[in-house]
Formats: sequence, structure tokens, C-alpha cells
Amino acid sequence: MPPAAEFTDSTSPRGRLRLSTRTAIRAGRWAAGASRRLGKGEGMVVGGRVMMRLAPHLIEDLAGDRVAALVSATNGKTSTTRLLAMAVSQTGSVLTQETGANMTSGVAVALADGDRDAPAVLEVDEAYLPLLAPQLRPRVILLANLSRDQLDRMNEVAMTARKWRVMLRGLPDVTVVANADDPVIAYAASDHPHVVWVAAGQVWTADAVACPDCGDLLSRDGSDWSCPGCSRSRPEPRWRLEYSADPANTASRAVCGEDVYNLSDLSLPGRFNAANATMALAVCEELGLDLDRSVQLMNGVAAVSGRYATVVVGSLRIRLLLAKNPAGWSELFDVMPPAPTPVIVTINSNAADGKDPSWLWDVPFEKLRGRTVIATGDRRYDLAVRLLHAEVDHHVIADPYRPDADLPAGVRDLEVIDCAATYTAFHGLRTRADREAKR
Amino acid sequence: MSTSTQQLTIVSIYPTLLGTYGDGGNVLALAHRARLRGYEVTTVSVAPGEAVPVSADLYVLGGGEDTAQTAAARALIADGGLARAAAGGSPIFAVCAGYQLLGHTFPTADDSAVAGLGLLDVATSRLPRRAVGEVSSLPSPHAPDGLDAPLLGYENHAGQTTVGPGASPLGIVTHGVGNGDGTEGAFTGRTLGTYLHGPCLARNPRLADLLLSWALGVQLDDLVEPEVEQLRAERLRFLAQS
Repeated sequence: MPPAAEFTDSTSPRGRLRLSTRTAIRAGRWAAGASRRLGKGEGMVVGGRVMMRLAPHLIEDLAGDRVAALVSATNGKTSTTRLLAMAVSQTGSVLTQETGANMTSGVAVALADGDRDAPAVLEVDEAYLPLLAPQLRPRVILLANLSRDQLDRMNEVAMTARKWRVMLRGLPDVTVVANADDPVIAYAASDHPHVVWVAAGQVWTADAVACPDCGDLLSRDGSDWSCPGCSRSRPEPRWRLEYSADPANTASRAVCGEDVYNLSDLSLPGRFNAANATMALAVCEELGLDLDRSVQLMNGVAAVSGRYATVVVGSLRIRLLLAKNPAGWSELFDVMPPAPTPVIVTINSNAADGKDPSWLWDVPFEKLRGRTVIATGDRRYDLAVRLLHAEVDHHVIADPYRPDADLPAGVRDLEVIDCAATYTAFHGLRTRADREAKR
Repeated sequence: MSTSTQQLTIVSIYPTLLGTYGDGGNVLALAHRARLRGYEVTTVSVAPGEAVPVSADLYVLGGGEDTAQTAAARALIADGGLARAAAGGSPIFAVCAGYQLLGHTFPTADDSAVAGLGLLDVATSRLPRRAVGEVSSLPSPHAPDGLDAPLLGYENHAGQTTVGPGASPLGIVTHGVGNGDGTEGAFTGRTLGTYLHGPCLARNPRLADLLLSWALGVQLDDLVEPEVEQLRAERLRFLAQS
């Protein structure tokens, strides 16, 4: 991100903002600049905090009535937001986060930074959504999935769903686009008067075993589900994703009544991105956009904040994959080239990764059998023990990118090698690639 | 016991309800270390509502959220199979929520006390502050023979667990919270509970081997795996620095 441009135009004299908001934005810009000059990062968090301290109503003031949509989920927030923002760009410029910063400061800075007349499409952290949605007053809220993630700091899944449910009670005028195939999402949205249900699929079901309402075990039949205890069941979807996983011919399409939209030309890989696009398309319909044009624009999104981007780190060319929890992992194996192609897996346990890597044991790493895995990251030894039990061949290497690293046979011959990384490892690799490219 | 046929049957109790923190890894670790010794291992997962088989060699329970824990305790009491297996001398290994529900009582989200199975003489109330982080202990003076290495794991719970006279603490806490009174976990006979996940038995192979020797009725030779020792050494270094 170009640091100096972060807050440009934020105080343009349009006269619609309260004086305290304008003052707060100036102070936030100053604080962010000071933080950057002191070498403490991009200054977004500090800038956002200063702004919010000086003008607690700042987000409400900057949001006005221009927030088109909010996107929240455990997985796919950033990708779905980018797909949707690209589709909305058919009407002109769009305000969205460039960095994926999706808590209070990130949202405040994004709003203060951008074009004040542009519609906003924003991703919001699932724990912050109940706080931010009433201030942002969006036309549409997209709720895609909830599963276990960073349990050392986050709420349990059912608790988040209960908080969303209470939040939606206070937002009767918003339209909710929700995944009917995720029983936890269905529970969160089911009482709302205007829900557009999308059958977007659910591959990881381990966090939706018991009914979030009554606790009985759910009955499942394919993507259909129902609760024998309280008679909740999968809502009838308006939209559905049809996905063929045949490796020779993966095909996907979004279907709404008689209308069929081909999603096979999406640049982003995998079933989950077809699901993200289907949900984004349902939002586009609610926003009155041209849906064929929306698909065309979404097809052009190739890499989202570094996800799926190919970068050079040290002596290796890697394709970056973000893999931060069991649900995300469970769909990631399918986008990797088949065995025996080796892969790199990087596991960290900083605060943003979750400090407890126990979740590695919920990931079906057995699917990597037949390949060699390069295990790296701060928690490479935890990964190695997991791979040992999964009977996956592995090499533990602290820094596989060094020219003298002792890599498994064949790795240096690969044109590009997939590297699945947790959040801070992923960003560390992006930063390192950027830094090395500038040399 | 099925020593003569070289078979081992492990029952995983309600993994859909009690499996929040990678607890399936404990079953994998037991099966892995038994197979390396030449045993043929069968793993049986029991879902709530299904009968718990009473004649298996080893029973494993994991951790779970409050509502899942209450549902699991009710289903296990109604079924009665696990209590009969314990009375028959089968070893039981339980982590976190599973540990609590083997005791007399544990608290729900609104702090009312729920009856557990009473297979371990422990009772759990609520800690003033949730215990989240690395946890390690040294085997307590009462710990079963064969446990002589630090026990390493991660804890994430709100339980203050008091060990009664009918049970003994498993460890003395050297880092973290554990039971909340300086001890960690508890055991009586062949029923053993702990707050360590991580999962526990992958990180603590001697504890895994203790359970296997109880289940198989034999002494097991040492079996050292470099990956596991490297992980333990790395975690001990981390604890020494924090």
C-alpha cells in the first residue's frame, strides 16, 4: 500500500461531515504518519484508533447511506469482498478495503480514505460485525459460513451465531444473503424478514453437527439438513451453486430459477471460490446490477491480496495459498496439483494465526500422502508430528528459500511450488517477496 | 483384553460432540504407537444415541463446548456403557470437557451444576478467569509408574477442578493453570483425565504408552520418534523463555 496516499481526500470540503469527524480524520492521519515514521508499520491501527477516540460516531458519519454490502464469514471474506467489489464497479468507482483490515480501525480508515461518493463494499471480521453493522447500515449483509478458527481468542461458533441473530433483530430493513447449507448461518439469519438463501455448499461440517438452537444432532442427506429436535431445516434456496469436481473438467455455475450463470471461467480456483462468487452474485441481484456483466468482472479477479499469487522468495518460485483453519484446509487440497508434486506447508502460531495449533489435528493431512511436504514456519515441529501420524513423507526445514537449503529431490526442478501458509506466515512471505523484488 | 490376538480396540466417545481441539489426534497417537509395536488396531467412533460397547480395550474422550459437554454427559449417563466398561477395568482417557464430565459435577454456561458420570472423584466449578495458553506439569508424586517426563500441552477452559480423596492429581503445574490449585489432571485406577490438549498423547508419548500398557496388559519397550522429541524440546525451550 502506498503509505502517503492512505488518507488523501478524507477532508475534502464537501461539508457533509461533522466538524469532529473532520478533526478526527486529520488527527488520525497525523498519528498514522507518525507511526509510519517511527517504523511501526502502516499506521492503520493507530490512525483508526485515534479517529475513533476523537469521534466515536465517525464510522456512522462516514458511512452515511452509501454502504452497499458487508461480507462476513470465517473463510472467504477477503475473496468474496473483492469479487463483489469488482462486480459493483460496473456502476463506477467502489470503496473497499485494499488490505483486508476488517476490524474497527480497518473499516474506519477505509471509509476515511476513499472516494466519499462511491458505494462501499466492506468485509467485516465475524466478531466485530455486531458492533459495526448498525453503524454502517448496509443495504445487504452477506453471511457465508462459520467454523472453528483461532479458538484461543475467538468465540465458540454457536456464540457468534447467537450474537449475529441478536444483531439482525436490530436491522430489520437490511437484506441478508445467507448460505442455506450452513446450519449455523441458517440459525443466525432464520428469523430475519428478508433473507435471500443461497445453497453455496458446506464441505467442513464438523462445527455444524448439533443444532445451534436446541442442541439435538442434525440429520443430513447430502447438502440437505434438518433438526429432529426443533424441526429446523435447510431453507429453500433462491440461488444455488452447481459444481462438478471432475478433475478433468471442473465446471461450476450459479442457478437462480430459470437463469444460469456460468462460473467456470473464474480465475480464482476451487469450489469455495465458485461458492463465494455465487453468494456475491446473489448480492448483485439485490443491488440491481447486471448479472452477466457481474460474472464477467468477477472472472477477471486473479489474485486477492496475494492469495493464489505466484511470487519469488529466495531461490523458489511459489504459489501462495492462505490456509488458516480446518475448514479452509479441507477445500485447499483440491486446488493443489496432484501427488507426487511436493508442497510447502508453513505453520505459525502468532496472535493472528491462533496461538494454539491443535487445529492441525482436525485437518485431513492424510490427503497429502504420496507427496513430500516441506514443513516450515515457527510450528514446523508440530506439523512434522502431525504429518508423521498422517503417514506423509516430510522434511523439516527452517528456511527452505535459502539457496543452500537441503530440499527434497525434484523441488528445485519445479517451475512453481504451492505454499500453503497460515496468516502471519502468508504475509511474511509476501513481504519478503516484495522486499527481494526491489533489490 | 486381547493381548493373545495382538489386537487393540479403541473407542472414541462422541467425537462429533467432544472434539473441538484436535482431540481426534489422541486416538491417532494411540493407534500409531500400538501399530508400531505390531498390534492390529481397530478404532470405533460412537455417536450420541449409539450404545457404548463395554468390552473395548481403551476409551477416549475429548473436549467440547458447554452445550455439547452437557449433551454428552446426559447421553453417557443414560447409556451406562462407559460406567460398565470402567467397572470392568478398561482404561479411560479424557481431555478437558471429557475430563470434567467424568467427575461428579461441572458448570454450564450459566453456572448451574450438571451431574457428571462420577467415574473420577473430582468436582469442577468455574475459574474466575478462563485459562488459555501453554500448560506443562511434572508428574505428581502419586503419578502412575512410567510417567517421568514433563507433560506438555495447551489448555483452554474455565474449570476449577478439585481432586477428592478417591483420586490423585496427575501432575504438578510448572506453567499454566491446570486444575487451578497447582495440580493438573487426575486419575484413579485406570481412569485418567487432563486439561492438556495439543493433542496430549501426540505430545506426551510416555502417557500414550502408559494407557496402552494398561489396555494391553503388557509392559511396552521404549519407542522414541525424532519428530516428537524435537517438538518436545522446542516446546520446553519456548516455556523456558516465556
